[in-house]
Amino acid sequence: MVSAAVAAGVTDMTSTSRRKERSVSATLAAATCALLGTTAAAPVDAQEEPKWDFNTSLLYYGEDGNRVQDASLKSIIRRLFADDRTLTLGLTVDGLTGATPSGAIRQDVPQSFTRPSGNASYVVPAGELPLDDTFKDTRVAITAGWQQPAGEKGLLSVGFSASKEYDYLHTGVNASYAHDFNNRNTTVSAGFAFASDSIEPVGGAPIPFTSMLDVGEISNRVGDQDKDVLDVVFGVSQVISKNLLVQANYSFSQSDGYLNNPYKVLSLVDGVTGDTLLRAPGIEGGPSGVFLFESRPDARTQHSLYTQAKYYMNGKVLDASYRYMTDDWEIDSHTLDLRYRWPIGDSSYLEPHVRYYTQTEAEFYRLSLDDSAPLPQFASSDYRLGNFDAITAGVKYGWKTRNDNDMSIRVEWYTQSGTVPAGQLIGNQASRDNYPDLNALIVQFSYRFSR
Amino acid sequence: MKMRMVTIALLLVCAGCSSMGVQPWEREVLAREDMQLTTDPLEAATDDHIYFSKEASSGGRGFGGGGCGCN
Repeated sequence: MVSAAVAAGVTDMTSTSRRKERSVSATLAAATCALLGTTAAAPVDAQEEPKWDFNTSLLYYGEDGNRVQDASLKSIIRRLFADDRTLTLGLTVDGLTGATPSGAIRQDVPQSFTRPSGNASYVVPAGELPLDDTFKDTRVAITAGWQQPAGEKGLLSVGFSASKEYDYLHTGVNASYAHDFNNRNTTVSAGFAFASDSIEPVGGAPIPFTSMLDVGEISNRVGDQDKDVLDVVFGVSQVISKNLLVQANYSFSQSDGYLNNPYKVLSLVDGVTGDTLLRAPGIEGGPSGVFLFESRPDARTQHSLYTQAKYYMNGKVLDASYRYMTDDWEIDSHTLDLRYRWPIGDSSYLEPHVRYYTQTEAEFYRLSLDDSAPLPQFASSDYRLGNFDAITAGVKYGWKTRNDNDMSIRVEWYTQSGTVPAGQLIGNQASRDNYPDLNALIVQFSYRFSR
Repeated sequence: MKMRMVTIALLLVCAGCSSMGVQPWEREVLAREDMQLTTDPLEAATDDHIYFSKEASSGGRGFGGGGCGCN
């Protein structure tokens, strides 16, 4: 897409004298191809196109209350070759620290827990949300993609991705094909991605529904786990008018294998009071209550429909998108995203952004497990599987530097607020704040240049 | 059932397409960088990753965020 815009600029810059020599139709044909970024029928006398495109950003993501903090460096480097073939390489390095909810509920007394490693314990004060503060990780991710025209109206892309964290390894491949129809006003595409991931939890993967054990005890831990994810996407994009472009994608995603979060537990509670059952920690420390490791199904099927419209209004651009997702864990979600790009002078712009997200809880989402009832087949208290709404609001400011490079900075706030279904609240739980609401600040600085 | 509805919707969209669109010389606005479906690939990749880590839905625009132990 970048190449298309650049190529269009180049076409416009051809000298007037030369332009007269070419037939109008040839010029239009060349311009059209250039605009669409397909077969490079660019004029031979055109100024040399930039061959490299470097796009780099620094991101800070920070959650309130000493929760997750992420400092991230991301780069996308694009090399343009003859005949509109493109190589894209991406690199991301994330440094993550902070605390994350363990899944246990608040109590009116202090609670102690064994760390995921099994080597130590920690205490959460009375009334506070149990957070596991051992979260510390470095993530390195690479992507590589190759894109080339296939025939006159086709575009073929293949790619590879890999990422490594302390306890996680991802490798994936993807391919897609897009075909233009109807004077290139309609583009139909199909693609797939397959990922094979392996999970090596700190201290070993706990057997679902076994209790968190005392420090030093690892009898309920097993070895590494893995999961596969297949994504398939079908899309159509359509030019409606000179100023309006729309897109619709249907995606299908199938995950199989280990889908648990190996660090999340649920509190086992008294059926009347709703308070966590107590136990005596071992000599070297351990849990003060009964906490069971979560258990999720080993398969998940998701369907989503994504629609997007780009509308140009006298210099300003509205970007609106909506996504509906539904899955066989009974989660339904709606996402609405609006961006409005507002030029300021010739070389800068302001872009306000709002996003609204809402999801229903998974059928096996539970705040806690009732000791007086039989264990369900599956249960997780992961807040990300609960019922919540989220709002993102922010603004981006972008400008061109003196040597025509692009810079931008954006600042956004992300907030989640959830509710536990009333039917799940037992005894004293009804008077407590059970859902771990989230507030995060996102700051991203980006720099882009071509040569 | 859902699959069938989606297929029908896509077919309807396609059927309506043949009469829409612009001529090649009317693409000046559509070729603008700010009119591309993904204007800022880095920002899009960043957002996909953040929301993949914090919500139960992912992808839609293209392939899902994927590739991390955060979910």
